[in-house]
Amino acid sequence: MQPHLKRAFIILVLVIIGFLFVRSFIVPESFGQYGWYRGDSVAELRDIPVGYAGSASCSGINNECHKTTYSIWVDSRHKTVNCETCHGPSEKHVIDTRVMPEPANDTREFCGLCHFKRAARPADFPQIDPETHGENLKCAYCHNPHKPWFL
Amino acid sequence: MDLSRREFTKFGCRIIIGAAAGATIVESIATLGVAQEESSNKEYDWNEHLWGYVVDTRKCIGCGRCANACKLENEVPFDEPVYRTWIERYRIVREGTEESVKIDSPDGGIKGFAEDIPAEEIKKAFYVPKICNHCDNPPCVQVCPVGATYKTEDGVILVDYNYCIGCRYCIQGCPYGARYFNNEKRTADKCTWCYHRITKGLLPACVQACPVGARKFGDLKDPESEINKILDKERINVLKADLGTKPKVYYVGLDREVR
Repeated sequence: MQPHLKRAFIILVLVIIGFLFVRSFIVPESFGQYGWYRGDSVAELRDIPVGYAGSASCSGINNECHKTTYSIWVDSRHKTVNCETCHGPSEKHVIDTRVMPEPANDTREFCGLCHFKRAARPADFPQIDPETHGENLKCAYCHNPHKPWFL
Repeated sequence: MDLSRREFTKFGCRIIIGAAAGATIVESIATLGVAQEESSNKEYDWNEHLWGYVVDTRKCIGCGRCANACKLENEVPFDEPVYRTWIERYRIVREGTEESVKIDSPDGGIKGFAEDIPAEEIKKAFYVPKICNHCDNPPCVQVCPVGATYKTEDGVILVDYNYCIGCRYCIQGCPYGARYFNNEKRTADKCTWCYHRITKGLLPACVQACPVGARKFGDLKDPESEINKILDKERINVLKADLGTKPKVYYVGLDREVR
């Protein structure tokens, strides 16, 4: 073999080895474990802590927590509204009861997010005209949010 | 050995390609066995599930509790106009003899919708919740240059926040506008169907927050699941079906104006 070709081949082989060497450091170990991505990231995304605990956890494991409110709510027409939809994410409170979630928003506007009259809402959904109904009082002044009137 | 420059280049290229291909094959063989072993050890087996989502637009009241819950659960920057799920209001408005479609989504619907068009002028109005469609054929995954976004075996499209370089190509690639740039993480971000919740047997935060049951989530592989019963019974549509992305968010009662 001519010496200049020999040199070129040696350089080529060294470049390939160098490429593979550097690549083995740069590419994460779990890359390609399941597909063209870092396999460890699936576990990382799965391990993110939960924020919303779910209504079932509010009654407690042996029904020793919010017993009365829960039993009222579970029979009411608001039973499709999850506790945390109004009371906010409460997983931290479930784990440690000393950590209190923010108090529920009891303004007219908050109830109105669902119940103010809007043209785009299904017609059979209970809605009020905020101009004529309730004299600007808080809804909870007349209605129990855990067991609303009328059904 | 007498080689022309062209032959030398050809030969060199072959060696490089061959070595790279060889290394990839060796690597994939080496990791294949490991992957199968590990997935069988964990309690959640993603091969047993294929998640799907149903939105009943006839039930949605536009309260925005889904978008609110999503932001709190997933630490989406709350005061920035970025959303993993949001609600659009469609109003078909009479203007003389003409009709026009007005679409809006102020703050993603989180703060409610003001009634700024007189009711007499509105011919028809409805809300449409939007969310990542977790396409079976996702364009966003195809365009990622570094492999930082991928489809899991249970059909969820995820972003690897530690690997994303923030080039925003996937945000451009999504035909549904479901991706956004997270200024806090400095990466692309999107709905994960609350992957940290569904793998623990919980519902996504938006589904749990919905007070009227307009959003349903479940396992397409389970014939007894609620969403499979809806898919069997109702007339179903998907968004932009002509793009061939094969969305896994199915809409009931979708109007022809919805894009």
